[in-house]
Amino acid sequence: MNTVNEKVNKTAEKGVDNRKVFAYRVGIRFIRSIAVAFWVTVIAFTLIRLAPGDPAQARLGAAAEPEAVEALRKQLGLDVNPLEQFFNFFRGLIKGDMGISLQFDREVTDIIFTALPVTLWLIGFSVLISIFVAIPIALFVATSNNVLIAYIFRSTTAISIALPNFFIALLGILIFSIRYNWAPLLGYTPSFPENLKYLWLPALVNATTLVAILSRVLYSSISDTLKEEFVETGVIRGIKRPRFFWFYILKPSLAPTVVLLSYIMGVMLGTTIIMESIFALPGIGTELITAVISRDYPTVQGITFIFGIIVVFFSFFGDLMAYWLDRRVKF
Amino acid sequence: MSIKKFRRWLDEPGNSVIFTGFSMFVAIVLAGILVPLFYKYGPNDFVGMPFERPGGEFLFGTDQLGRDILSRTFHSVYRDLGVAFLGVSIPFVVGTFIGIILGLSKSKKIIAVISSVIDGINAFPLLILAVALIAFLGPGLGSVVIILALTNWARYARIARTKAVVVSQQNYIEAAYTLGYPRRRIIRKHVSPNVSSETIAYALSDFILVILLIAGLSFLGLAATPPTAEWGAMISEGRTYIINAPWITLFPGAALCWSAISLAFIVEGISRREGKV
Amino acid sequence: MSNSALVDIDSLQISVRLSRTRRLKIVDYASMKINPGEMIGLIGESGSGKTMLCRALIGTLRRRDAYISGGSVMFDGMDLATAKNDVWRQVRGKRIGYVPQSALAGPNPVLTIEAQLLESLGGDETLSRADAKKRAKELLDIVQIRRPDIVMKQYPNQLSGGMKQRVMIACAIALQPELIVADEPTTGLDVTVQAEIMKLLKEIRDQFNTAIILVSHDLPLINDVCDQITVMHAGATVENIASAEIEKSKHPYTIALYKSRIDLAPPRGELITIAGQPPAVGAWQTGCRFNQRCDFVTDACLIGEHPKYIELSATHQTACINHAGIEAKIGSSL
Repeated sequence: MNTVNEKVNKTAEKGVDNRKVFAYRVGIRFIRSIAVAFWVTVIAFTLIRLAPGDPAQARLGAAAEPEAVEALRKQLGLDVNPLEQFFNFFRGLIKGDMGISLQFDREVTDIIFTALPVTLWLIGFSVLISIFVAIPIALFVATSNNVLIAYIFRSTTAISIALPNFFIALLGILIFSIRYNWAPLLGYTPSFPENLKYLWLPALVNATTLVAILSRVLYSSISDTLKEEFVETGVIRGIKRPRFFWFYILKPSLAPTVVLLSYIMGVMLGTTIIMESIFALPGIGTELITAVISRDYPTVQGITFIFGIIVVFFSFFGDLMAYWLDRRVKF
Repeated sequence: MSIKKFRRWLDEPGNSVIFTGFSMFVAIVLAGILVPLFYKYGPNDFVGMPFERPGGEFLFGTDQLGRDILSRTFHSVYRDLGVAFLGVSIPFVVGTFIGIILGLSKSKKIIAVISSVIDGINAFPLLILAVALIAFLGPGLGSVVIILALTNWARYARIARTKAVVVSQQNYIEAAYTLGYPRRRIIRKHVSPNVSSETIAYALSDFILVILLIAGLSFLGLAATPPTAEWGAMISEGRTYIINAPWITLFPGAALCWSAISLAFIVEGISRREGKV
Repeated sequence: MSNSALVDIDSLQISVRLSRTRRLKIVDYASMKINPGEMIGLIGESGSGKTMLCRALIGTLRRRDAYISGGSVMFDGMDLATAKNDVWRQVRGKRIGYVPQSALAGPNPVLTIEAQLLESLGGDETLSRADAKKRAKELLDIVQIRRPDIVMKQYPNQLSGGMKQRVMIACAIALQPELIVADEPTTGLDVTVQAEIMKLLKEIRDQFNTAIILVSHDLPLINDVCDQITVMHAGATVENIASAEIEKSKHPYTIALYKSRIDLAPPRGELITIAGQPPAVGAWQTGCRFNQRCDFVTDACLIGEHPKYIELSATHQTACINHAGIEAKIGSSL
């Protein structure tokens, strides 16, 4: 990829339109993401195959008739060699067919498309809250230039990163749902903005960790930015406060946070499994748990792939946004 | 170490935080050893009435089946922390080893293949892989260790590789090669200490993640399952009664938080020592 | 002379806040005068306080937890040492421009060159946006950047180090200031590019009659372009001398700096270096601060305060109490 970057750099210096350079880089990176997504699929497939045990046997139990197990293996397409299994699965994936759930007699893709929006809403809402809290905190701590404030900030965030979020969620339920009745204990409405009523508490719990992680990274990059010479030139140019804060402090510091955020949004796909289970939200995490417990092989496999692909594209958009904010970012 | 020396050590930046975290960690580990050895009730003995309040004969109260919560909470220590220790140390050893080999390897093909496997595994959030794989391994603490061994080495390998590449380009390593020291000796004496210091730092913060992962999976019923005394499982069991008997949930939750925070303090103190603040 | 001086720094002291109670003096006994249109070189080792002196002139000490703890900085009749924000708004960028160290990436990485030039022109409210754009292009012409239309739309990371520094100079001269403070403007650049930037600064001085303070640790590099050289050592200015008369220096430190230039070393001869380290910042000994490293040290150099300037002529002040003896001792060895 280096050679491509060098080429792009050279064309940029020759004075080709910047917008074209941008589009070119986005295109290259997009194609690369597709390749990574494919690769991630291969890895997930291999790992699932590497796990000891036979899914058909596991589903039917140890006491099952060998014929029944063999029949299920055939139904799951496990009777051919792994390479062929992969190509069969991949062919289906392209056609949007991931098999049929063993427990519900529904298409796996159908399950995913009903459940995914709930999860994405939860993640989106959590991220939104976190950004609006983390940025002012990080700005305040970094610009206050006070050792004590920095220490308090670091200690509090270290603690809140270490707290288990399912326990916090239970405490949240105890306080907000039971004590004050501000949040419904369970249930969900898919339409906006009614769904926020069900989402705000789980999102807030997610935010306790997320705010800590984001504000720590942002704090350290803002501190680095403040040491840079160009901030001085901003002062010299007499730039007004809001513009100064955005273009001379925040924007040059945001790239690492954005990249991290896109990664964490992937991680949150995992942690929402727990959140959804506690708050009984009909998201993809809940579907995954149900499928795991009932050994619903096609659904587990399908959801895992979707997760892998979402993670790859989160990271694509994260990198894209970081590059858009700050051209020093390698893209 | 004399008290005076210790005081001076505490005054260095970050050390007091490390000390706090370390004391907290030692305290919970000690409780985890002493309670199973000397406490009068076992974790699965039905010793009292259900839902007895904390205080009195049962310091932490009893749960819905009349089991002693104090006993259960501290019997969980070796399970939670012990399994987490296994779940960190296996990937640590394997990942560091693979990372060093990869960092020093000259074969471009091997590097390309293994690195892309590493990146592919790292692309998946740990919890997702864990949950998916448990579908095939079946719930249990053993499965969690297998899953961690299968997947988490990749994170260590990535860190170790990066560091190994940097170290191997250092002048003294090149000099050692030129002097004809055997490769194995160079790795053992020079490369691996440098690389491990980096991966150990990651292992500490990974320890927190793994503790939370084990408890989280148990909470979902995917790792330790009732009646096993394990914090996540206990919290999960207690949540049904959280309105009337919150102590069933709160004590194991507090123990879990305590362990995670103690480690977080150690990590935080180390980063302060290194002047990353 | 002092009536016509554009800048008159007198016994300036700068301190840093280390903690709530601890202060460290990092500059004292700093005095210098700059006449309109004069190009003056400020020379010193790192830690000598030259960068802090520059920051005092552009009013950004506070960002580094430093402040002026004594003395005065007169700029065209105003004392900048005690100036409030409204005074700074009138001076900074408009009457005093600033060119940062190139090595530390002066231009803002997230703004296009055009945006930064427009920002620099923003201090002039009478300028319409269209005129400002036209003026921005003119500025790039002045600093000899080819294809200004393309460069305007680019981000700093697409430019070479020399180009970046030209852009910074364009920003500094945007509002035609009377003074430009250039803090090591060529550090980290290729030697050929260094020379070009120096030449450009000189041309700008000639064209707009702008006074320029050129900070450097490289005496030979700036001796050719500057009219006057001020030498700093350990937080104090030790000599001020016309560059043409540099060989008549009366201060052992200046002499040592000048003699350590490579091109003066005899073929196969020993390269002359200055013995010892400069004293640690703020931890200064009594007497002359060069007394540990000086070949001509006498008992008088070891006691009392750091010596003040002795006026030898209108363009030559030195802080060496032995200046007469030194002349006799080294004679014409330079």
